[in-house]
Amino acid sequence: LWRGRCRALLSRPAGALRARRGLAAGPEMHFGFQSVTEEERREKIYQVFENVAKKYDVMNDSMTLGIHRVWKDILMHKMNPCPGTLLLDVAGGTGDIAFRFINYVRSVRQRQLQRKLKQHQNLSWQEIFESYQKDKFNSLGDSQVVVCDINREMLKVGKQKAQHLGYSEGLSWVLGNAEELPFDDDKFDVYTIAFGIRNVTRIDLALQEAYRVLKPGGRFLCLEFSHVSNPLLSRLYDLYSFQVIPVLGEVIAGDWKSYQYLVESIRQFPPQEELKAMIEDAGFFKVDYENLNFGIVAIHSGFKL
Amino acid sequence: VRCQQYPPLRALQASAVLGRASDEHKKEPLASSSQQHFDSPPAGHQPEEKPQGPHPSYTGQGGQESEDYESEEQLQHRILTAALEFVPEHGWTAEAIAEGAKTLGLSVAAAGLFHSDGSELILHFVSECNTKLSKLLKKEQKLVQLGEAEKKPIDEFLRDAVEARLRMLIPYIEKWPQALSVLLLPRNIPSSLNLLTSMIDDIWHYAGDQSTDFNWYTRRAVLTGIYNTTELVMMQDSSPGFQDTWRFLENRVADAMAMSSTASQVQSTGEAVVQGLMGAAVTVSNAETSRAVR
Repeated sequence: LWRGRCRALLSRPAGALRARRGLAAGPEMHFGFQSVTEEERREKIYQVFENVAKKYDVMNDSMTLGIHRVWKDILMHKMNPCPGTLLLDVAGGTGDIAFRFINYVRSVRQRQLQRKLKQHQNLSWQEIFESYQKDKFNSLGDSQVVVCDINREMLKVGKQKAQHLGYSEGLSWVLGNAEELPFDDDKFDVYTIAFGIRNVTRIDLALQEAYRVLKPGGRFLCLEFSHVSNPLLSRLYDLYSFQVIPVLGEVIAGDWKSYQYLVESIRQFPPQEELKAMIEDAGFFKVDYENLNFGIVAIHSGFKL
Repeated sequence: VRCQQYPPLRALQASAVLGRASDEHKKEPLASSSQQHFDSPPAGHQPEEKPQGPHPSYTGQGGQESEDYESEEQLQHRILTAALEFVPEHGWTAEAIAEGAKTLGLSVAAAGLFHSDGSELILHFVSECNTKLSKLLKKEQKLVQLGEAEKKPIDEFLRDAVEARLRMLIPYIEKWPQALSVLLLPRNIPSSLNLLTSMIDDIWHYAGDQSTDFNWYTRRAVLTGIYNTTELVMMQDSSPGFQDTWRFLENRVADAMAMSSTASQVQSTGEAVVQGLMGAAVTVSNAETSRAVR
C-alpha cells in the first residue's frame, strides 16, 4: 500500500504541475493526484463536501486529534477583532470560524463595557439605567459575520449547529462561490478562508475577489495546510496522512475516497512562499505568513491598503 | 519553475480616502518586499505612471498619473498619529489604533498592521514628542542668535527643556504608566533607550555643551537621571498644575549644578594640594642638594 502511494507521489500527472498555481493552463487541473478539467474538478469537489458534510466536524477532530480547534483559535487571536468588525468567512461551511468570532467579539465588548462603567463612578441611577438599556441590546457592538459557502449541505449543517449552540445574532449564511462573490465592493473589514482555499479551482480569482470585497485597510487571512520543510517530520506526516486518514474516513464517515482526495489535495497545494506571492499578486500589502506546527498549517495575512 | 512575466512596478495607490496631493509630486515607492512582486492591475484600476527612480529597467504602463503615492510607512505613520487622540479613552491599545484607522476612512482591521500591545503607538508618540522638543529648542536658539532673547543660564535652560518635554505627556498622563511598562518590555528596550538618549543629547546640544571629554557622559547620565525621576514623580502627582513636579525638577537641577561645582571645587582643591606637595618635595630636594654641596 505504501509503495503504491509512493509511486503515485512520484508520477504526478503532467498537467498537475502547471495547474499547481491554480491557473487554468488549458483544461487540465488536479483533483488530488488525478488530472481533470476545471468543470469536473468543481463538480467532484462539490460532491466530496456534500458527502462529508454531516460528519465534517467529527472527522476534523479525529484526523487532527482536536488540534484544528487550536489552529482556529490562533487565527482568531491573530485577527484580534474589535466590536464593529464585519467579517466575511468564505468556505466557512459549518461555521467554526464564525462562532469563534462571535465569542471573541462578545468578550471584548464585555470588557469594554466594564471599563466604561468603571470610569463613570459618579453616575446617577437614571444614567446607569439608561446605559444598561443602550448596551444590553448591543452585546456584539454591531459586529457581524457572513458565512459564505458554495456547498448547500455544508451551510445546512452550519445552520443547524448555530441553532443548536444558540448563535443567532450577527450571523448570516450566504450561498456563494469564492471565485465570484455575491457581494459589493469595499464591504468587509476582514476576509477569512479557513481550510477552504485548497478546494477553490481558480485560486487567483478567489484572491482577486477577496481584494474586491474588502474595505481599504481590510485584512485577508488564510488558514490552510501547507508545506512541512523538516524532512523527518515530513515523512511522519506523509505516513500519517496516507495511511491513517483515509482509513479513519472509511471507518467514521464511510467514505474512503473523499479523505483520499483531502490528503492528496494538501500535497498539491502551493507552499507558503508561493501562496504569499499569489496573494501579493492580487494586490495585497504587508503579506506575511506564520507556520503552525512546523508548517503543517500556515496562516497567511495581507492588507488591502 | 514559475513562469514569470514582468508587469510594471506597482506602487501603493491611494484610494479617495487616503488623500491626494498635487499632481506633479510623486513620492517614491516604498522599498518593501512588495516591490519584488509585480502584477498587471485588473481592469478598473487607474493607470499608473511610468515609474522612475531606482528601477529604470521596469517598463511603466503608460497613462497619466492621477493619484498620489504613499508608502506603507507613511500610511502607518498617519494611522498612529490619528490613533493618538483616542488614547485617553482606550489606552495604548489596538482599539485606539482601530479607532484612528476609522477616522482615516480605513477599516478597523488595519489595526492588525501593528502589534496588539500598542508598542508601535507608544514609540511613535515618544518620537513625535522628541521631534517637537527639538523644534522648540531650535526656535529658542534662533531667537537668542537674533538677539531677541536672552541666553538662559544652564540650570534654567535644562529646567525649561525638561519641563516642556514632560508637559507633552499631560493629555495622556492617566495611561502613561501603562506606556512606560510597555516601553520596558525587552522587545522595545533598544528603541525606547535610543529615543531617550537622543532626546537627552539634543537638550545638551542646545544647552551649548561642546565637551569632548568624560564630561559628555557624566552630563548625559545626570540629565537622564533627572528626567526619569521627574517623570516618575509626575505619574503620581496630583497637585494643581503639577506644581510639585516642577518644584522637584527645580531642586534636582539645582542639586546637579551644586554637585558639579563641588566636583570642580574638589578637583581644584586636589590640584592645589598636589601642587603644594610637589613644591614641598622640590624644596626638600633642593635643600638636600645644597646641603650636600656644602
